[in-house]
Amino acid sequence: MARLMSAGNMISLLWGASTTISLSLAAILLGIPLGLGLALARWTRLPVLRQVVIVIVSLFRATPAVTTMLLFFFVLPTVGIPVNAVAAALLTLTINTAAFNSEIWRAALEEFPREQMEAAKSIGMRASQRFYRIVLPQIFRASLPALVNEMTLLVKASPAIAVVGVVDVTRAAARIGAETYEPLPPFLIAFVFYGAFVFIFVKLHRTIEGRRRLQEARS
Amino acid sequence: MENMTQLRLSEVAAITLAVVALCWPHAGRAATLAEIKQRGYMVVATEDDFRPFEFIKDGKPTGFDNELLDRLRKFAPFEIRQEIIPWPGLLAGVSTGKYDVAVTAAAITKERQPTLDFTMPLADNSNYYAKRKADKNIQSIADLNGKSFGLQVGSVMKERLPELQALLNPTNGKLGPMTEYNSFPDAYQDLANGRIDYVINTYINLSELVKEKPNVFELGQKVSGRVMPAWAVKKGNAGVLAFLNTFLAQERESGGLASLQTKWFGTSFDELPLYWMSEF
Repeated sequence: MARLMSAGNMISLLWGASTTISLSLAAILLGIPLGLGLALARWTRLPVLRQVVIVIVSLFRATPAVTTMLLFFFVLPTVGIPVNAVAAALLTLTINTAAFNSEIWRAALEEFPREQMEAAKSIGMRASQRFYRIVLPQIFRASLPALVNEMTLLVKASPAIAVVGVVDVTRAAARIGAETYEPLPPFLIAFVFYGAFVFIFVKLHRTIEGRRRLQEARS
Repeated sequence: MENMTQLRLSEVAAITLAVVALCWPHAGRAATLAEIKQRGYMVVATEDDFRPFEFIKDGKPTGFDNELLDRLRKFAPFEIRQEIIPWPGLLAGVSTGKYDVAVTAAAITKERQPTLDFTMPLADNSNYYAKRKADKNIQSIADLNGKSFGLQVGSVMKERLPELQALLNPTNGKLGPMTEYNSFPDAYQDLANGRIDYVINTYINLSELVKEKPNVFELGQKVSGRVMPAWAVKKGNAGVLAFLNTFLAQERESGGLASLQTKWFGTSFDELPLYWMSEF
């Protein structure tokens, strides 16, 4: 394998991997609160806002990331919003994952027992206090497994950004394969990379769950 | 199969977007030469996996078009900014005005004439087929009857298939099932794996492939009439087209073009026309 992959190509692959990691993580970190915001906008039942959110979320859940990517990259500049490829990539991944996250948050919010809200209100908690102290910790717990699952799906959807020239690990592997006519070594490395990257999320989830169980057993 | 769905979607999306962007008010306007001079730079797009025309070696762009582009950088009185992107979005990017020039081996075709204008041809690059070297069932064009084959989505090979069918007609042959790939390297891989029986691509691309992997692949016969690749600009962008043609004419005159052709294609093309319109 070393014979087939030059040091320069290996470096290109590492650059691709770092692009996949940084853009995925940034989209995950932005997409979780954004998804929560969208879910809350629906939960509060504000008439117009609610409909707008429903349309946006449905649209981006239905559209493949590749299409969203091309849309942002080619159409936004024509309406006077300049975007470069990386900005379009971050926007695509963030909105894509936020749309799915919002459905996860929404499910948890709908399951949330309203009696608890009434109880909190009766002891004089403000709306923000009720949300941060009562609602958020519980819906976070309920949503975590699904959110982690969505993170792994986002990582696997991320090669879509390559369509406008952002070189992620898959594209880097494809380029090397095209140059050497030996696509197997770079794709094997990319394969192992995705496995390891996704494993980190799964492991993180297990650690959080394990800790929680421990706490619950103690209390 | 998932991969196939994805590439179809990307292709459909690229075409849809090109149409949407073209219908959009003040969209799809390419920069004129005067505007390019005024802003100080020209944006060109090249491919990243189209050896020997454009490809990436150790993270750096190289190949015929990239070396010709280096010469254009010296010739141009403004900066040249290069975007390296995969094929499916490239021509859409030029027709929407995102890129000023497609510096790639875009074959001059009838279908592309309404949206793009082409420079003078840069090579004579007819379509051939390549097969697995070990596959003894294919010896001539007649043997392609019913065999499965692959090509790149959005490439010109598909429009030229009637010419191959015409070659199969005398022996009552028929084209086999076709698979369209996101890029040619994917098609070569499937050919090596035995999932398809031959790949149709240009002579230059296939002879490069066979030169690199002589134990795996073998070059077949010619399956089309003349195919001429050139650089492309958005339809009607006459100033930029004339600027590029002036540069290319100078390179042709000085022998620079011929030496790059010899270096990357193994032969020079000295008899190319200055303007060419495809009947396909």
